[in-house]
Amino acid sequence: MAAAGSRRVADGGGSGGTFQPYLDSLRHELQHRDPTLLSVVVALLAVLLTLVFWKFVRSRRSSQRAVLLVGLCDSGKTLLFVRLLTGLYRNTQTSITDSSAVYRVNNNRGNSLTLIDLPGHESLRLQFLERFKTSARAVVFVVDSAAFQREVKDVAEFLYQVLIDSMGLKNTPAFLIACNKQDIAMAKSAKLIQQQLEKELNTLRVTRSAAPSTLESSSTVPAQLGKKGKEFEFSQLPLKVEFLECSAKGGRGDTGPAGIQDVEKWLAKIA
Amino acid sequence: MLDFFTIFSKGGLVLWCFQGVSDSCTGPVNALIRSVLLQERGGNNSFTHEALTLKYKLDNQFELVFVVGFQKILTLTYVDKLIDDVHRQFRDKYRTEIQQQSALSLLNGTFDFQNDFLRLLREAEESSKIRAPTTMKKFEESEKAKKPVRSMIETRGEKPKEKAKNSKKKGAKKEGSDGPLATSKAVPAEKSGLPMGPENGIELSKEELIRRKREEFIQKHGRGMEKSSKSMKSDAPKEKGKKAPRVWELGGCANKEVLDYSTPTTNGTPEAALSEDINLIRGTGPGGQLQDLDCSSSDDEAAAQNATKPRATKGTLGGMFGMLKGLVGSKSLSREDMESVLDKMRDHLIAKNVAADIAVQLCESVANKLEGKVMGTFSTVTSTVKQALQESLVQILQPQRRVDMLRDIMDAQRRQRPYVVTFCGVNGVGKSTNLAKISFWLLENGFSVLIAACDTFRAGAVEQLRTHTRRLSALHPPENHGGRTMVQLFEKGYGKDAAGIAMEAIAFGTVPEKHGGPSLGSFVFCRGSARNQGFDVVLVDTAGRMQDNAPLMTALAKLITVNTPDLVLFVGEALVGNEAVDQLVKFNRALADHSMAQTPRLIDGIVLTKFDTIDDKVGAAISMTYITSKPIVFVGTGQTYCDLRSLNAKAVVAALMKA
Repeated sequence: MAAAGSRRVADGGGSGGTFQPYLDSLRHELQHRDPTLLSVVVALLAVLLTLVFWKFVRSRRSSQRAVLLVGLCDSGKTLLFVRLLTGLYRNTQTSITDSSAVYRVNNNRGNSLTLIDLPGHESLRLQFLERFKTSARAVVFVVDSAAFQREVKDVAEFLYQVLIDSMGLKNTPAFLIACNKQDIAMAKSAKLIQQQLEKELNTLRVTRSAAPSTLESSSTVPAQLGKKGKEFEFSQLPLKVEFLECSAKGGRGDTGPAGIQDVEKWLAKIA
Repeated sequence: MLDFFTIFSKGGLVLWCFQGVSDSCTGPVNALIRSVLLQERGGNNSFTHEALTLKYKLDNQFELVFVVGFQKILTLTYVDKLIDDVHRQFRDKYRTEIQQQSALSLLNGTFDFQNDFLRLLREAEESSKIRAPTTMKKFEESEKAKKPVRSMIETRGEKPKEKAKNSKKKGAKKEGSDGPLATSKAVPAEKSGLPMGPENGIELSKEELIRRKREEFIQKHGRGMEKSSKSMKSDAPKEKGKKAPRVWELGGCANKEVLDYSTPTTNGTPEAALSEDINLIRGTGPGGQLQDLDCSSSDDEAAAQNATKPRATKGTLGGMFGMLKGLVGSKSLSREDMESVLDKMRDHLIAKNVAADIAVQLCESVANKLEGKVMGTFSTVTSTVKQALQESLVQILQPQRRVDMLRDIMDAQRRQRPYVVTFCGVNGVGKSTNLAKISFWLLENGFSVLIAACDTFRAGAVEQLRTHTRRLSALHPPENHGGRTMVQLFEKGYGKDAAGIAMEAIAFGTVPEKHGGPSLGSFVFCRGSARNQGFDVVLVDTAGRMQDNAPLMTALAKLITVNTPDLVLFVGEALVGNEAVDQLVKFNRALADHSMAQTPRLIDGIVLTKFDTIDDKVGAAISMTYITSKPIVFVGTGQTYCDLRSLNAKAVVAALMKA
């Protein structure tokens, strides 16, 4: 009887037998006050925990405080960036990389945002957008109002791309379409630009989805802007899109102030 | 002398600018940025734009760009040195401002560099003036004039050859002229160190001369020669003594037995034993088996292995230290560090079918972009270089202009004109096949297509297109589209002029003017159909032609110039290697040369075909886009109608960088 009982216990022990030798060795070590294996395991766990904690903290801190300045080449993003930060006028060239700086919003809470100015050149814009879109709290799309008539197709194509990317994010950022270069006489108004962009994006929805699929086409269907069957309007989007007029250069060029009060107010609002 | 000098950050802020002329410098600098830096042609540091030459220097550590511009016709030698000096001075002076990460420091800092720059410019200009070529010295200043004549006179008799030459050539009458000539010849004689007799007018007789010559010659070389001649003479009779002289007794009578001097043997009996050592004949080594030819190569391999082993160990040690150094502090990249990694990357790219020139240029540009950059804490040289190369490749593959054919066709529809696309390329790349695929795609999207068979050379080209048209018609019959013929073939048989057929096809595809009556052209080509509805797209298929074939290239250029198509697509296969560069360059050149317009119509886009035949050797895509900087519009991946794709830049680059 006792032999059968002990045999059954041994069998039960055998099923957990894979862990048995380790537990035995641990117990052995603890008994001998020589816990090398245990200490190594504990150290590894501690390191892992700190790494996870650190990454978590880092991502929390840097998330969602950035405002991206995007737009076509020569639309005035870098000058707008400079004006927002310092209020001065500077000569600018085509940007090759991004510039970022902390911007103190002038509302009573005194929040700070990180303004990031991305290059607008065709070869770079998508790469940089990819890099920074996850940390975007708001996107300012700068449009050259004077050259808009000529560039409407390119503007619409880039705007389409940015909208699609933003809609795919977890927290959709707030959108501002800043119609820059209003100091030039031939500049179009924000209303007109909005109408033209809506018309253009309406057509683009169809042509983009009809384009041949890419080489490594994923099974996900490309996102659809707005509602099918109805004319595209910005109000149909899940994002909040606003149109504002501004002039980064200002009425008197490098001597006078810039006409960017609306943009500053909008930034204060969303901060 | 300089037109302008600009210093600006890579983020676009102009930190300091010097303008020698009143023209603004932003235009040329923007052109420089767009053509060179953003298209990865940063191998050499100079660029020509209209009337200016621009030289630039990148500071990758602080993300600055230094650009100087001057007139193209001037050749200023001090510019490179000036840029380096300015770079160093600016960096040292404003180190604190430019070191920060945020752009605020750049914005708030005042960069008052004018005085320093002017000083450096002045120094550079002066240094270039000093290096001007020196004027020739006059005779009075030379050393020779300072020496007395007597020192140049040498004793005669030692070099009779020259003296003999003089005396033979000139003769006694020309003693006067002999004098200076002899002294002038004395100078090289002096240099060779041989003394020569004074020409005081004393003439030696010829025999005496020859005797003297011989004496001297014998003096110099005579000892050895005499000995050797003596020994030669003694040897010869000895050798002759060894051999018995052959005596011809019968005086030339050809008697067989007498003339047979061979040792007597009889047939069948074995010859006498060899007197030589058998072992020497056999040699060493296994007799029966043939040994492999790896004796010497194994030695080489062993030597190479021994050589690489210490290098490998040194490499791993160096790699470890490099990583540790990277962990601890900030390490800035130098060319030597990147050298080996870039070589490996270049070979890797070439193995992936990127054209060799382009791989070299790409690596040069990446090296230029990374030189002096400070690496992050956990990155090695290899990872930094790979990252930079990946970014440049993605940058190259991004289209510089909009790639949306459907949108442009809609525009053309509104203007009541067909959208004309021309396909050109070398033989056998898949023009007709991909034309059919693109027509299928357009038909699926509801556009009507007219196919113009301008390949009037290849046998069966028209029939091939007719078959495609028939099949596409069956897929999209007129009943489905309200009685409209969606696809039609326009052909005029073989042997005709392709440009003419294209023109007629476009006229056929255009909707005739409703008001004002039909124009003559459309009336003639209406061919009796009262209602010509016009087509949305006209696809023009041309004959394949080699890029070196001048008359055919002229014909193609004429077709494109005369018909001004909306899109000129170059069809290239993905299997092509270095040839892609040659094809595209020559096609573009032919189109540019034969065009009358101010801005010639060049290739607007590329169709990359046979993409399913290459696994991951996708380098042809890079070569083609790099050369033309035009986008890849379509990718063909098979022979059925559905095998048409768009390019996915990230996937292609991932396939390229895969080990």
